[in-house]
Amino acid sequence: MNDFINQALLGPLELLGRQVLTVLPNVLAMGIILLGGLFAAWAFGSFAERLFRMIGFDHFCDRLGMNAALLRGGVKTDPSRLIGRSIYWTVIMLASIAALGALNLTPINQFAQSLLAYVPHLVTAAVILLAGYFLSNFVSQAVLIAAVNAGLPPARLIAACSRWGIQVLAGAMALEQLGIAQHIVVVGFGITWGGIVLAGAIAFGLGAADLAKGFLERRLGNRSKSSTDDDLHHW
Amino acid sequence: MSTNLTPLAAPTEARIQEIGSAEVIVGIPSYNNADTVGHVVRAVSVGLAKHFPGRRAVLVNSDGGSSDQTPAIVARTAINFQHLFIADQQSILHRIVTPYHGIPGKGSAFRTIFEIARRLKARACAVVDADLRSISPEWIELLLRPIMEEGYDYVAPYYLRHKYDGTITNSLAYPLTRALYGQRVRQPIGGEFGFSGALAAHYLDQHVWESEVARFGIDIWMTTEAIASGARICQSFLGAKIHNPKDPSADLSAMLMQVMGALFALMEKHEGLWSRLEGSQPVPLFGFTYEVGVEPVHVNVERMVSHYRQGLTDLEPIWRQILADDTFTQLCDLQGTSGTDCRIPDELWVQVVYDAAIAHRKRIIRRDHLLKALTPLYLGRTASFVQATQGLTSMEAEQKIEALCHTFERMKPYLVERWQPPTLQPVAPALLHHTTVDAGGDHE
Repeated sequence: MNDFINQALLGPLELLGRQVLTVLPNVLAMGIILLGGLFAAWAFGSFAERLFRMIGFDHFCDRLGMNAALLRGGVKTDPSRLIGRSIYWTVIMLASIAALGALNLTPINQFAQSLLAYVPHLVTAAVILLAGYFLSNFVSQAVLIAAVNAGLPPARLIAACSRWGIQVLAGAMALEQLGIAQHIVVVGFGITWGGIVLAGAIAFGLGAADLAKGFLERRLGNRSKSSTDDDLHHW
Repeated sequence: MSTNLTPLAAPTEARIQEIGSAEVIVGIPSYNNADTVGHVVRAVSVGLAKHFPGRRAVLVNSDGGSSDQTPAIVARTAINFQHLFIADQQSILHRIVTPYHGIPGKGSAFRTIFEIARRLKARACAVVDADLRSISPEWIELLLRPIMEEGYDYVAPYYLRHKYDGTITNSLAYPLTRALYGQRVRQPIGGEFGFSGALAAHYLDQHVWESEVARFGIDIWMTTEAIASGARICQSFLGAKIHNPKDPSADLSAMLMQVMGALFALMEKHEGLWSRLEGSQPVPLFGFTYEVGVEPVHVNVERMVSHYRQGLTDLEPIWRQILADDTFTQLCDLQGTSGTDCRIPDELWVQVVYDAAIAHRKRIIRRDHLLKALTPLYLGRTASFVQATQGLTSMEAEQKIEALCHTFERMKPYLVERWQPPTLQPVAPALLHHTTVDAGGDHE
């Protein structure tokens, strides 16, 4: 009976205890790294934010028109804080990966390594999305103004289409970069985009043939004036 | 003074060496003006022979790569002076036909003319557009004599125009320049100017030749720079101006962008000067003024109002960023009016222009977007002006423009208050040296 208790019950418990004791320092190390990482993230983030604020980085960005560009992109945070928060989250991410590595468990190590290897893709995708967002805002604003100045009634629709077109393109590129359903994204995007262009062309050809004719005549022809034009010399 | 020389083509350099020096230079910037440039060259040649027979004169054609034989026409156009009763032509008119270097545009063409004037040590220069149909030999006298004999540095043109001709000048360039710099130059973007050799050298020393000025903002830049440099300024009455239409592919928003962009950029440069000026003073006018019938202008008010209304609806988010809350609210209140009865009053238009200048300075949005987004507002204002002056004579319409100018001047504190204080110390206009000495008092 005693042997049974020793071998069947206490044995595994002892083994578990030994394993826990073996892992415990690693868990402790992970905790310390995480805490240290949190502190370091806060310290580096705050220091960077204050440093940039002190050297007048916000004012510099303002002069370059970057603050206004951020505001136009819906980002209401000032550039110094933005850099501070970026550093904070970068340190947190690195500390988390280091903390996972401290456990020294093969699957977690592999996961941490693959996560680390994935970081460049994540960064690239984020940059693509960010650039796409800003580009779409810029292009849609330019298209809206040009369409209104040209007197096109669906100016807002045209601007919205240009905005979403660029954002969808940026999204597809980001997904491809992240390796998520690469083929489906590329094919799906191709079909969707081709479909939109074809639909637009057919709709324009059927519904706005006169408009297209008039436009081409004005562009390629002798630029004859329509009866609704005026002789105003603005200059 | 800077010693940096603008590069010229080798044959032009050789021609300058050959000529040596000149007292008078007349420049003609051109680009594909074969059908009109011959007339302009004849008018210039006759004007110089008739009014400046003893002066050593040079005609400079600065061409932007015309493909229609424009330079060849300039080079070979001949004049029979006997038929014009000019018998005492004492000096040969030299001609320099040269391409210009740099960014394509009228500004780069002018730069080449300024450089040739500097190298030939010219006393007086004039520039006239190559697309003019109404230029006469008297224009040359009127542009050059105030420089040669009256001690002026800059001669702006003064034309007779239809009340609806030159609406950018009437609603924007003239009132704003007058309110800012205190000089009533009626045609600040006229296209034809006279200026002294010293002022040409001053123009050359400015570092603007890689900017938009080198393209098409040159007219307003020359006028403003002349005022800001303390040059003695006058105007000459040239009669009616008839010229070929501007490039049809150049749309209104691009045109407006050039003028407004240059005006606003110059406001930043000279903020130390204009922010302390109040009111305005008349600029002397030379020449015999007369009334002349001008061609009627057909205006489509409905289309302009429709453009304005669309702008109010579709460009609302952009206008909200550019304009002050009060200005935008007043514009929205006009939306309730029916049909073409949508008028932007003088005060509101002035607020719009001043708000836009402030937004441009603060870079609230991209500057080209800002300037182009103002096109429907400008059309709305133009429609308002047309409606307000329907049935009025040109003289009565001129009084309306005068009233607008007064409003610009009266509301200038609105601009000064909102404009950030100048970072630089106010600069005294002392670039043109000799002017204040022998100016003989005021400019009135």
